[in-house]
Parts: sequence; structure tokens; C-alpha cells
Amino acid sequence: MVRVKSRYLLCEINVPDRSRLFLLDDRAVAAAVKAAVARMHGDYGAALCSIRFSVKYLNAHTGIVFLRFPKKCYRLLWSALPFITCIETRGQKIECFLNCLHVGGTIRTCQKFLVKYNTQQLHRMLPKCKSEEERSQVREAILKCCLTRGNKQEFGEESDSEDDEEQ
Amino acid sequence: MVLNISVHGVRVQFDLTSCISLLPESVPRRSSRGRIALESPATQEDKEKMSSSKAKMREKKMKNQPSSVQYSPSTTQNGGGAVVSGGGQLMERPKTPHQSAGWSRGHQRDGGSYAKEMPKCITAGAFARARAAEVSSMLKAVRKTTGSCHVFGALPKHMRRRAMSHNTKRLPRRLRDVAERMREKSLQAGSKKKEQAKNKSRKARRRHGNLLLEFNRRQRKNVWLETHIWHAKRFFMVKKWGYCLADKPTSKCYRPCYRALSSHCLLQDLSYYCCIELQGEENNLLASLSQLTSKETGPTFAAALSLSGQKQGSVVMYRAGCYPLQPLGPVTFLWRPQSQGSTLRQLWIWAHPTMKKDLLTELQTVCQCDEAVAPPIVPIEQKLPVTPEDKQIAGTKRKQTVKDISGPPAKKLLGDGTRSPTTPVSWKSNCTGTIINDLTMEMVRFRLIGPQSHTVLAETLEVATKYGESDKLKPSSLWWPEHCKEESKMVLHQEQADAYHLLKGILSAGELPPGTVLGLTVEDPRLTLPTKKLKALPSVQKAQEVDEEKSRELMLKGVPKHCCQSSLWDRSVRDNVTENRISEKELNHLRGELLVPGSRLSPAPPQSSVPVLLVHQPGKQLGHEMSSWGAGWDLLLPKGWGMAFWIPLVYRGVRTGGLNMSLKHSQNKGVPHFPHDYPDCTSGALFQDEQEAELLEKFRRRPPAKRTNYIKHGCLAPFRCPWQQLAEEWELILIEEGKKKDSQTTRGADEVIKEETTSLRDMTAAKPVSCVSVLRCRKSLRLLSGWCRPTTSKGQRLCRVEKVPQLDHPAMTSFLTAHGMSLVWVRLLMPSKGKPELHAIVCAPTAEDLQLLDKGPGSSGPQEPLHRDHFKSRRKGSTKTATSSLPSEKSEGQMSHLLTASEEPKPSSKASSGFTAGLWPDPLPSVTSHCSRVTLGWVTQGDFSLSVGCGEALGFVSVTGLLQTLSNQEMKHRGILLLRNPTSLHYRFVKVTIEV
Repeated sequence: MVRVKSRYLLCEINVPDRSRLFLLDDRAVAAAVKAAVARMHGDYGAALCSIRFSVKYLNAHTGIVFLRFPKKCYRLLWSALPFITCIETRGQKIECFLNCLHVGGTIRTCQKFLVKYNTQQLHRMLPKCKSEEERSQVREAILKCCLTRGNKQEFGEESDSEDDEEQ
Repeated sequence: MVLNISVHGVRVQFDLTSCISLLPESVPRRSSRGRIALESPATQEDKEKMSSSKAKMREKKMKNQPSSVQYSPSTTQNGGGAVVSGGGQLMERPKTPHQSAGWSRGHQRDGGSYAKEMPKCITAGAFARARAAEVSSMLKAVRKTTGSCHVFGALPKHMRRRAMSHNTKRLPRRLRDVAERMREKSLQAGSKKKEQAKNKSRKARRRHGNLLLEFNRRQRKNVWLETHIWHAKRFFMVKKWGYCLADKPTSKCYRPCYRALSSHCLLQDLSYYCCIELQGEENNLLASLSQLTSKETGPTFAAALSLSGQKQGSVVMYRAGCYPLQPLGPVTFLWRPQSQGSTLRQLWIWAHPTMKKDLLTELQTVCQCDEAVAPPIVPIEQKLPVTPEDKQIAGTKRKQTVKDISGPPAKKLLGDGTRSPTTPVSWKSNCTGTIINDLTMEMVRFRLIGPQSHTVLAETLEVATKYGESDKLKPSSLWWPEHCKEESKMVLHQEQADAYHLLKGILSAGELPPGTVLGLTVEDPRLTLPTKKLKALPSVQKAQEVDEEKSRELMLKGVPKHCCQSSLWDRSVRDNVTENRISEKELNHLRGELLVPGSRLSPAPPQSSVPVLLVHQPGKQLGHEMSSWGAGWDLLLPKGWGMAFWIPLVYRGVRTGGLNMSLKHSQNKGVPHFPHDYPDCTSGALFQDEQEAELLEKFRRRPPAKRTNYIKHGCLAPFRCPWQQLAEEWELILIEEGKKKDSQTTRGADEVIKEETTSLRDMTAAKPVSCVSVLRCRKSLRLLSGWCRPTTSKGQRLCRVEKVPQLDHPAMTSFLTAHGMSLVWVRLLMPSKGKPELHAIVCAPTAEDLQLLDKGPGSSGPQEPLHRDHFKSRRKGSTKTATSSLPSEKSEGQMSHLLTASEEPKPSSKASSGFTAGLWPDPLPSVTSHCSRVTLGWVTQGDFSLSVGCGEALGFVSVTGLLQTLSNQEMKHRGILLLRNPTSLHYRFVKVTIEV
């Protein structure tokens, strides 16, 4: 009700060579976004981008990024994202482009969407597996993603044990 | 084998065959707890800023949130040992089981190493596992709520219900088990913490017996005065000196209290003052007491008027033979008028509780009273008739409130409740027969201050009626009927009553000779309690009735000698009166039986006669203006009668004051107040320490940004006054000056000075590290006071009694030889603006400042340039690195010469834990030369004076400094000094006076 409102963009970094993804880190991504915004929208954009913009989450394995923009100007900033063609990190240029999957009002909605999206990906992968080994691995992964009773128990116990330690 | 996945139209090609077998653990997994070692930059930085508790809260909140998964340079370097080649593709993966441990972020300087160490391809399995790991972490983040650890935190808002934590049935069934467990856990934790004490109901607690028990329990630690309950309802109470004392009223009545002081009457309970009784031969007592006092400070115990018992005396006591060093403090004393044919004398010494212990030990050594007398066998009781109840009570000091056998078991505690009954209260000397009794809390002392205090007394107290002739023959256990049987005592009683009636004729309490004593036996004032609170006003009629001649005699000579006798001096009488006091309940019962409601009880019950002593308290005796301001009467009562007299006094329209008001009283009188303004006494030093701790604590409670930076104000010691250092520094300055003089006058024009200075140097060299002393020698004070006055004063009417010798160099040197290390009590008046505060700095003006004064009366004083805070940079350095070298920069501006270099704070001092921003750490640099004007002393009491109408300060200055300044000043500017508050940079001109 009374809070600073933001928009969270759930983006996927697509690279031709997936191994290069591991080089990414959040500062590099943030710098790239800032540079792109500055290029597209000039000083005004750069200034907007300096307020409350941050990379909330980056997974170097899957190339998923959460970007936070102020709600007031997120459209303007978003419009600059397609112009990112490479991210410079650790002295190397990684060619890539950002693909926005979801726009959420909270991190939580983005997380929820990501769960759904990843599960969907794995499900899509399963019929295309060629060897039995692959198939089993993917199946295992899918099983992990699903919320089973066993999983729940695990979560619950974890939290309990933590509580004990705190006391 | 190639896997093609299209994700939103992007094709990512995977070469699976070559990699699957080679990458068993290619996907780094999060640690089982979901907490991974790497932290986002924001949290790391935040943690430094945030306090530990905040960080803990944040950690708890972020516990379930996923953090970024990135590679760090460290893992790749450490774990990159296994190089596997397959299918022409070079693979390097960290294979440590706890990969999470090495995951940290940071900028990579040598980024080139990455290219070969990173995996070149990705497999379907790895891809899937990465996704799965991410999903599980996200799931955790989504499912677990942040913040509250309650189960219902997991519920969406619309499903939450009131009091869910209390009643688990309100939760959905699936969450009940967890909630139940949580609740049990919290209950266990609660039981561990504290068992809630089962309190009695309020009604039960307030029942009389239980209330008394509770009160007695609370009196065990700190002594309560008899008026404690009355005061506790109206005053802020403080625990001080082992007593519970009223500090200041909760209502706003500062000015009304002042008006009462100056025009009507202010009432105070001073029962906490300790009385020590000495009994013995007059010569023996005087001989031993003379060791503790000095004639130079004024009349001592042997003064003729006091010795006869006609006057109360006051004296500053010192440790035996130590004058002028090691004072104990000021006391007032009262001799019992000599009874016929007896050489035994009785002396009461009233002292402040802080100095009682020292005084008592000192008295014991001086009088050689080492033999403690067991409490129940009080020596005086052997001589005087003893009632059977006395013996029983003397030890326990308890009063039987009700004589019924079925009375309540709890008894009201009277006297000192903290003392155990076996502690000795009297000591006897074998060789001289002197007896010392500790009469602490054995008597009640009320002080009435103000010009109308005698009117209040005259209205409240009525002389006791003689006991009926018919009952004379009957023996009585009561004191008064027995007393009435002796004719001589009755004659005395009549004379005392006459003298008392004369009191009504005088206009102001200040008209009487100071210290007059009047013994009296009065009726219980409760009998004449008015139905309404009325202000006691002097009636002209009564004044006219009184014989003019007699009242004039009273004013000049005081009360005749024999009228000072009172039965209050006898312990047995005191005990008898205390014990036989009619309780409030009985009195009300008697009143209720009266035929006409509201009429007076007559005849008065025989228990209602009380021996009292009225002691006149002198008002302002020093100085020329407002003489005898604040005079009044002290009322001494036997214990137990406190409230019986207090309420009737209050009903005469007096104001009541606490400790704060007595401080203001002495401030307006211009006299030092006991523990505050005696820096050379042990109790004074103790008080200073306490005050410093209190002020420092108050200072530290403020947020750092809102604190005064005393370093910048050039105030070295805002919370305490380093008197010792001040005196020593002035001593050094004097020597320096002497040296200069020596070099100038090598021809030996004034050999006297040279001689003097050399002798002075010898003296200072020989002098051990003695404590600083306060100048109390009357002759020297008179001399100083004369020097302080300007010779051409316009508005000041001076009654110069004697010719003051010229302030020239030989006179000054000889004076300083005697009192070089002393401080002197001065009164400072601000003729223009300004309100002095506690610990304001008294400085010597320069010649330019005095020219400023000439310009006009409206010109304000000079300004102190802002100082620099060198400790600021040190503080910053010390927080970051402990071993940082210190910047030795130092603004040498006006901070000149002498001790600055030697006493500059060492680097080690700042490492001390007690360092506070804005305060100079110990040791202090030179206090005299720290500011642009030379410091002479400090103010110990300062306020806007309602009696003078301008700012008035009282404090001490160094005698050496004062004399140096005075000798350098022109005649017309003599006695003008500067005063600066610790929180200000503005100097104000003050006129210094020393009142003798």
C-alpha cells in the first residue's frame, strides 16, 4: 500500500556459446544495461538508470537475471534492453542478447513465474531426449522440481533445525 | 548426438555425447541449507554499516532468498587441477565436493585464465540439473515467507484470522501440527525465563498491616524520613547518602518557592542531618575539639555565646591538627545550657550525612573514646529514671503504635531502619569519661526559612498547659505530669512561654540575633489544626499587645540564658514522649466524642505535651546587600512526632522545598553549599566524581551529532573542575614570572622580591603533592576582599570599616607565600547580559578587553576563537585501523608556552575505551593557557538570581591567579573578570566580590 514500487524484469541471457555464460557476473550485467540505456536515452536515461536500478539475481548456469527498475520509468529502460549485444566481463566480450520473459511487481511473482517456466522447459526437454541416460537424468530433475510430500517435509525440517540452532 | 532446444525462438545447440560421461558433477549445487557462501555486494557493504542486530535481522529475512549463482576466480584457480580431455574438447571443472564454499564474487583482474578453465560445452543433464536447482531454490523462496517465523505467515493474507497464534484451531488443518509444535516450544521458552510471581490483590496489599510490612521492607536499604510518604506523593525522590530524600516538587513552583523564601516561609525536612552528642567535662571537650578547628576561620566551639548555650554556632571542622588541609566539612553545634552544680556538659554537633563517618572516627580519636558501649545499656539512662518500657525499646528502636495486646504485629519503623540493632551507637572514654552518642534519626529537624517563619511557628505551636493541680499527687508514667510537679521547672516554663509570646511581636525572622535558641514545651499541634489551609500572616494587633521594651531587648540580646534549656536534651524524656504519642486514630476517636463537633479538645490529654527546641538560623550575613535574607527557624522535635507537626505547619500556608531548594537558598545567600562547594573535603570530592559521572552519562545519552563539541569550544573539563591542576599551574606561572623579574632586575634593585621568589621556589620544591585547599582564614579573606574592590565605585555604597593596605608587590608576594596553592570562594555578578551555568570558566581579561568595557555599558565581551578538534581525525583513524599513525598537527595559535608540550595527550590515551567524542581525553593539557584568556577558576553554582535580578555565579578561583590579575589591572577596572559558559564562545564581564 505504502511502499516504493518497482518493476522486476525476469530476463534470460542468450549466448551462442553457453560455456561463456559462466563468466557473467551481476556487475557486468548492470554495467551493460546502464551503458545501453545511456546510449539509447542519453543522460536522462542514464540518470533514471542510476536510481534504484539493480541486478537482484543472476544465475550463471541458466542465464537468468532479475533486473529491478523503478516503476515510474521501467518502460523507458526496458526499451533499451534489446540493444544489448554484448556484455563485457573480465576483459572479455560475451556476445549475447537479453530476452525478457516476465515483468513482475514483486520478486516473488518473478520467482513463481521462473518456477513454472523452468519446469515447463524440462518437460519440453523430456520427449526430445535421445539416450536412456539422458532421459533418466531429465526425469530426475523434473521430479526434483515438483513439490512432493517428501520435499515439503524436507523444507519443514530444515526450518526446524535452524530454529533450534538460533536458540 | 546433438540436442536442440528452442527457447523462445533461440536455438541453443548442445553436444551431448562427448560430455555426459565426463561431467558427473558439472552443476554446482547450492548448499543444503540454501545459504551459500557468496553474498551479494549489497549485503556485504550493508553489514558493515548496520549494527549487528540489524544485520542479524536481515540475515534472517534473507535466509530463504536465492542469491546469485556465479563463478568466482578463487575456485577456478584452486579446483582447476583436473584436466580432462575428451573428443578434442578441453574441460576443466571444479570438482571439490563443497563447491559452494568457494563461491564468492569479486572482480577478476586476470580474466584471461578463464577461457581455458571454463567448460566448453554443456550437456542435457547439466542443463536439466541447473534448471532443477534453480527451481528448487526459487520454490523455497516462494514458499517460505520472510520475516516472521510463525506458521500462519505462510498463509495468504485473506486466510489469516485473528488470534491464530493463540488458538491453533483457527489455522487450516494442514498447518496445525507445525503450529502446535511451535507453540509448545515458545511455551517452554517462556517457562524458562521467569515464573510470574503471584501477586496479592491490591486491596490486600493496601491493608494497613501489610502496607506497613511493605514499607518497613523498603526502608531496609535507604532510611526514610518521617515525612517520607507525604513527600513521595508530591516530590521527586532521590536516593542519596543512604536516605530517600525529596529533590524537587513535581508541580511547577520554582518562583512561588522563591517568593516564599523571601517574603513568607518555606518549610524543609532536614531530619537527615546527623546529630552527634558529646558528653563530658567542659575543659576536656574543648581541649579535644580545639584540635579539629582553627580560630582563623571564625568563632569555634569555645565562643562564649555558644558555650553558654544561648546561640547555635557553626564551624568548619578539619582533621586533627591538619588545618588548613583536609577539612571535614561545616557543622553546626549547640551546647546545652549548664545546669546548676554540674560540670558535665552536653554538646550536639549536627553534620551532613556524607561527612558523619569521618567526623565520628575523628571525634573518637580526639576524645579517646574507643570503647564501644553496647546499645541497650545507654549510659545516660543509668543516671536518669528509666521506665520499664525504655529498656525494651532502646535497642530495637521500634515504637508501639497501639498498646493493645491484640494490636497489629507490624510496627511502624521509626529512626534508622538500616542499622542493625547491635551496631554500637555510643562510645565511652575510660580516662576522661567523655561519651559520644550517635543520635542519627533520633530527632526530627524541620527548617522554616523566610521572614514570616516565626509567625507560622507562633500560629502552629501553643505553649503546653500546666497539668491540673488535683492530679499532682498521683504518680504517672508520663513525662509531663511528673515535670509539672517541680516548681522550679514550672517557673522556667512560664518564662519560656513569655519569651515565646514576645516572638509574635517582631516583624521579620531576620531581626533576631543569629543563632538564638529557645527551649519550649508545646501542645500537640494536631489539637489546634485549622479546618482549612490558611496562610499565616502577621497580625498587627498581636504586635501591639507585646511590650515594646521587651521585644527590643529580645532583638538585641536574644533569648535569656536560662530559657534555652529544654527537656529535649534528656534521652529519657525524648523516649517517653515518642512512645506515648497519641495515634491519629485515638485522637480522632476523642474528637468524635466531643459534644460540639469541631470544637477543641479540652482539657488536652496529658500525653500531648512535647518538648521542642527552636533554633534561629541566620540569613545572609556576608556582603552588604540583602542582609539577613533567608533567615528562619529550625524546629527540633523528638522522633515520632514528625508528621504531627508537619501537617499543622503545612496548613499555615507554607511552601515546602526539597534538596534543590536548599541549594538555591544557599546560592542566594552566597554561601557554599555543603557537598557541592567543598572541593577540598573528601565528601566534596566524592560529590564531584558523582556529578561528573552523572553529567557524562547524560551527555553520552544524546546522539553524537547533537552533542556539544567541548573541544571546539575550548572547554577542557565541562563536567568537573581540575582544581589541583589549576593551583599547580598557577604556582608554576608564578615561578616563571619570578624568573623573568630576576633577569630584568639583575642589579638587585628590589632584593626583597628576589628573596621572596627564591623562598617561594624552595617552598614549592619542598612541598609534597598536597591537596588543594580552600582559603577560609578570615583575615586573609578580608584582605583579598579589599583588594578586589575598585576604589572609584559609583553606584556601590561601601562601608569600609578598615583601611585596606595597598595591593603592591611585596604585599602580594607575602600573601602568596602563605596561600599560594589555595582557592578562594568568590561571588561573580554579571552586570549586563548572560546567565552563568555550572562549570563556566572564569578568566582574566586582557587590556584590550577592558578597553572594550570603556566604550559603553552596552558593549558585550570578547569572543573566543573556535578551537580545532584534533581528535576527530584520530577518531576516524582509530575506527579503521588501530595502528594508524597519528597526525601530529596542532593549532599552536594561542595555545602558548608552558605545559602544553609536556602535557600534550599521548597517542596511547586515545586508545582508552572511555573516549567520547567532543571531550578531551585524559590527561588534560594546560588548563590555564588553553583558551585565549587565562583561566582563573570555575563556577560551581550559577543561575539567574531572582534576588539580584541578574546572572549570579558562585565559584572558586585560584588565589595566585586572582592576585596576579588584580595587580595588573588599573584601579578603575579592579575586580572585573571574564566569564564564559562551557557551551558558548562569548565572554561576559563579571564583577568579582569576596564576601566576608
